[in-house]
Parts: sequence; structure tokens; C-alpha cells
Amino acid sequence: MTTLLDRPAPVSSRPVRDRRRWGWAIAAVGLVGWALVDSGLFSGAVLNPGGAAQFGRFASAAFRPELAPEFLAVVAESALVTVAYAVLGGGLAVLLGAVGAVAVARSTWGRRRTGWLVARGVVALPRGLHEAVWGLLLLNVLGLDPWVGVLAIAIPYGAVTATVFAGILDEVPRSGYDALLAAGAGRSAAALYGLLPHAAGSLLSYAFYRLECAVRSAVVLGLIGAGGLGYQLSLSFTSLRWEQVWTTVYALAVLCLAADAGGRAVRRRVADPRPGGDRDRVLTGAGVVVLALTGWAVWYLTLSPASLVSARALEQLSYVVSAAWPPSTEGALLADVAGAALDTVLMSVLAIAFATAGAVALAGLAARPPSAGLPRRFTGALVRATLLLLRAVPPPVWALVLLFVLLPGVLPGALALGVYTLGVLGRLVGEAVEESDRRPTEALRSAGASPVGAWLYGTVPSLAGPVLALACYRWEVAIRDTVLVGLLGAGGIGVLLSAATASFDWPAVATVLAAIVLLSLVVDLVSERARAALR
Amino acid sequence: MAAGSRVAVVGASGAGKSTLLGVLDGSVTPTAGVVEVHGADPAALRGRELRRLRARTGTVRQHLDLPGQLRVVHNVNAGRLASWSAARAAWSLLRPVGTAEVRAALERVGLGDRLHDRTDRLSGGQRQRVAVARLLLQRPELVLADEPASALDPALADVVLGLLGRLATEQGGALVTALHDPALALRHCDRVVGLEDGRVVLDAPAATLTVASLEGFYGVIR
Repeated sequence: MTTLLDRPAPVSSRPVRDRRRWGWAIAAVGLVGWALVDSGLFSGAVLNPGGAAQFGRFASAAFRPELAPEFLAVVAESALVTVAYAVLGGGLAVLLGAVGAVAVARSTWGRRRTGWLVARGVVALPRGLHEAVWGLLLLNVLGLDPWVGVLAIAIPYGAVTATVFAGILDEVPRSGYDALLAAGAGRSAAALYGLLPHAAGSLLSYAFYRLECAVRSAVVLGLIGAGGLGYQLSLSFTSLRWEQVWTTVYALAVLCLAADAGGRAVRRRVADPRPGGDRDRVLTGAGVVVLALTGWAVWYLTLSPASLVSARALEQLSYVVSAAWPPSTEGALLADVAGAALDTVLMSVLAIAFATAGAVALAGLAARPPSAGLPRRFTGALVRATLLLLRAVPPPVWALVLLFVLLPGVLPGALALGVYTLGVLGRLVGEAVEESDRRPTEALRSAGASPVGAWLYGTVPSLAGPVLALACYRWEVAIRDTVLVGLLGAGGIGVLLSAATASFDWPAVATVLAAIVLLSLVVDLVSERARAALR
Repeated sequence: MAAGSRVAVVGASGAGKSTLLGVLDGSVTPTAGVVEVHGADPAALRGRELRRLRARTGTVRQHLDLPGQLRVVHNVNAGRLASWSAARAAWSLLRPVGTAEVRAALERVGLGDRLHDRTDRLSGGQRQRVAVARLLLQRPELVLADEPASALDPALADVVLGLLGRLATEQGGALVTALHDPALALRHCDRVVGLEDGRVVLDAPAATLTVASLEGFYGVIR
């Protein structure tokens, strides 16, 4: 014991602030503050008192959805269209992603960095544009053809899938691959035997996740006219038939829930394979169902490869491309784009701040507790169902709903995105809480700490990092969705795009598209840096 | 258990030592029978009264359960959460409250210079001492310690067990500690309880036992 006390008194240490984190924290608070001021929340009237009655009618219709058999038949048929688009778009995206992954993987390029950077740049372009933007562009090239909906999902999803697949392949341990190369195997054969088996589980799991997301995207595409549930929703909305709106919303929720549950079951099974050499029934079944659905969807949508390479389509494509080059560099347009880009960023920041705050507040309730009484279970189920409903309704529809009670401007758009993102983040944060280690909190409770104190010192420290990282990641998604909300009229850069496409001003379209791609690239970069600082 | 007593719980792995300590601090609910802690049955209390009772028991857990992302100062301050309001607890995460006492506690376990380090940057033995420092601030009457010296060198193990023993007896309470080292148990405790498959098979004053007899209990054959 004396050995310790005899030592000289230790030099008093001062708290060393993590400069990077403080910088990020201050920047984030500043940005949210700016967004709040910019939204006009403190400076003017934001509420629309005249719309309260309409909103009341809308809300009360939630309890008496339209159940007439004719309408239910219409909804069922729309749901089939949505599923068909989702399966074909998602499936094609996975195919494109698998091919693209080879092109953008580090393993392919080895030390040839330039080639790798070029490949990454090529893939970044389709990724930067929202599915709805692709839909709008394709509509102008292909006309009203089912390929529009399929490709609008497949192109951006394919690019994302390629990047993710490449990342998975690059992270596989290389020793098996190197050993095969050393034994004289060719590079592709070595990859098949040395890389692919390790990565198969993660690749499959991500492919099913993409299919899940495709359902939601197919709904959104319906809103811009591709048919399906989204189209039905916008029809009922514009004709003010609230009972029908709610029937469609419930159908959407059921569809999303089915996709969620199915995808989750497959991903769980992939992550935790059954022992024994037998073929896994769930996985085989899922594969067979997806293949069968794909065949059915081609037939159902009467998709024909011929229309894709028809003379008219090619002619239109060459016309649009030649008309759009060079992009417009008019001063007035550039100023508009800059202003709209700033609005878009502030909208997305406001949305994420709202969603994160909401998700953290609800996390405790959304998580399934290991043991709890009936009232707690019931509240939890209710919260999870509400979150599902929030994310089942696409953001543009939320914007329309919010416009009943709010005056047009940045705020309804931001809140619409925020409400939708809350649905997604609430679930993710709830899952993070479920998976977190409860023992530190229990230890504090058993030493007499209050629930809040134990939460602050036991749960928050381990969850703050992951939750903020999730928020950053959702911000990347939200910036793309902000464009979508704007496309349907809620402000930001999307409004410029829809105006330019409506007037067939192709040079202006090219400029706005370039700005959107640049904006999403910058947001991706900032978010990636912020997440690195959180690690 | 008499005030001022120091009890070592010994037994092979899986004998039920941690479960016994868990029952005492209320984190494990007994499936049968009643446990009285500080003269009350924790299962019969609720809310504030239960918290007040639990504040009188301090535990060093086998896996420590200290969030690694927190700085040492916060993890030690967590020992005072029972008497802090929620607002004070939240504020202290931004500007640590009462750092002088935290530093004094850390100095007693030889970690005075680690006040502002992140806990996951410390070694296993250092983390064990952070958990002990937390107890020094909590000042419980009943000290429960599950293998508090498993990652410490012999000199530090003596320091830590001495501190825990004094902490308990200063408050007029008791120390119950699960130990794997027979010599340590005999040096720092005055009563030894042996467990086997969840049953008490030995309960004797430390003075009547020898290191060799305890080793036999663990099944050591020389």
C-alpha cells in the first residue's frame, strides 16, 4: 500500500476538449438555429387559421376509411401495380449493382487509383438524383411507358447498390483470394472462390433491404404519375375524398409492414444461419417468391424490351441531350439556384433536427423492453404502429396535409420531411436501444439513482454516438427527399427543377440537375466527416 | 450480518457468488424466500423509499458496467446520482460538479491523473479502480464487491480491498466480497462463506482457516 502513497502527487490534469467534436457540435447548433430563424417561426405568422376545419375533416376521416367494395378493388389493383414496379425496379437495381460493384471495387482496380476515382465519379451521378427526378427525366424520353417507373428505381438504386456491394467486397479478408492468385488462378476465378463466399451473406442481406426500400420508392413514383398506390393517393387527395385517402394510406402501411417484416425475416436468417447442411427453407422460399414475382410483374406491366430501344425513344434521348448541352450559365438562374439550394439545405436540417429530437424522445417507448407489464407493452405497440404510419406516407403527402394548418413556405416542407424521417429514425433508434447494454443503467439503479440519472449516466453515453451517426446518415437521405418535396411544390431546389422541366428549358434543367448532384455530394461529404468525428 | 463485519464469499466458478451479491443489491429477484437489506425487504418498497434503501448499498460489479464513452470524472460522479436531482446530473455532464472530491477519491486508488480520460482508454485494472472510486463517493453502508481485484497486481489488490473494507466499516456497515484468491480473503476478511452449487457449504471465522484449507475448497491439488 505504501508503494502507492509514496509516489509524488500526480500532475493535475485539465479537461482536454475534443476539438473536432466541439467544432461539429457548434456548427450543428448554429445550422439548426439558422434554419429555425429562416423558417419564419419567430418572425411572422406561420399558422393558417382557415385550414383548421379542413384538417379536422381530414383527421376524423382516419376512423372511417372508405370501405366500398368498388374502391377496395381499385386499391388492391393499385397495390399490385406498386408491387410490380418495386419488384422489377429493385431486382434490376440489384443486377445493375452486382455488375457495377465490379467496376467500382478497389479490388478490381488495385493500385490504379485514377481509374477507381473515375468509376466512383460515374456512379456518384445517378446516386445524387432522387428516384422521382429520374422519373421526371425518363418521362420526357420514354413517354408514358412502364419502363419509366422501373428504370427510375433501378438507376439510382443500382448506383447505391454498386457502391455498397463494392464496399462489402473490399472489406472481405484477402488472404483466400491472394492464395488463389498465388496458385495461378485468374483474377475473376479467384474472386469467385476467394472473395464471393465470404461476402455472400452481406450481399444477399443488402439486396433484400433494397427490395424493401423499392416498395416505398414505387409509391413515391406513383405521385408523379407512374400509377399504383401513390397515384391513387394523389387522386383522392386532389378531389378532397379524405375517407379514400385514409384507405390508401392504410393499404400503404400494410404493404410497407409486409415488406419490412419479410425483409427482416430474410436478413435475420442470413445473419444467423441454421446449423446443418440442409437448404434453408426461408431463404429458398424468398428467392423463389422474388423470381416468380419478377416474371409476373413483367407480364402485368406489359414491359417490352423493344420500347426501350425504339427509334422514337432514341431520337428523343439524343434531342434532350443535345438541347441540354451546354448547361445554362445565365446569372439570374444561377442566383435562383444558389438561393434555392440554401433553402433546401436549411429545410433538410430543420427536418433532421425535428426527427432526431422526436426519435430520442420516443426511443424508450418504441423499444421492446425485455420484461414489462401489459400497459407498457400496449403503449410500445401503439408507438411503433404510429411510427410505421408516419413512414408509410410519403413526405409530399405529409406536406399537403400540413398545408391545411400552415402557411406555404419552408416550414411545411421541413416538417413534412421531419415527420416522415421521424418514422424511420424512431424505429432505428428504438432498435439501437433494444440492442444496447442495459447493465450500466441497472447498476446505477441498484445504487439508488433516479430513472433520469441512470438514463443520463448509463444509457446516453453509449447511445449518443450511434444515434447522431444515424441522424447524419438520414440527413444524406433527407437532402434528396427535400428535392422531391420541392418537385411537388413545397419550396427549395425541386421547385426550380419542376418549373424548368415543365417549360422544356433543357439548358436550365441541366444546370439545376448539376446543382442537385453537387448539393448531395457536399452533404454526403460533410455527413461522412461528421460521422468520422463521432467514432 | 453484524455491523463492521467483512465477509468473503468463495467458491468455484458458477457456484452462485455473483447471484448472491445480485440478490443483495436488488438486481436479481429471489425466486423463493425473503432477503432483508438494512432491515427492510426491497421487494416491498417502491419509488423514492426503494431508491433511498438502494443508495445505502454500493456494488463493484464483476463486469464493472461503466460506460466506456464517459470520462472518468463522470463515471466516478455517478456514485452520487442517488442524491442528485436530474437537472444537476445533466449539468454535471457538461461541467463536472465537485471535481475536488472526485480527484481525492481517484488519488486514493492511484488514478489522480486520469480524471479527464475517457474510461474506455483505461486498462482493465484501472477501470476496476474507477469503479471503486465511484463507491468512495457513494459512501454506502453495505459494500458488495464481485471480484474487485481480479485484474490488479498483488500490491494494488491489497490497497483496493483495504479501501473497501475501511469504507464499509467507517459507515458502520459491512463488506461482502466474492474472491478467488484465498490469501487475499484471509488477509482482508474476518468471515469466509463457501458456496457450492448455490448452497452454503462453509461458514467460518477467517482465523480458523488456512490458505491450504481454502485451496482445497477450490479443488486445488498440490
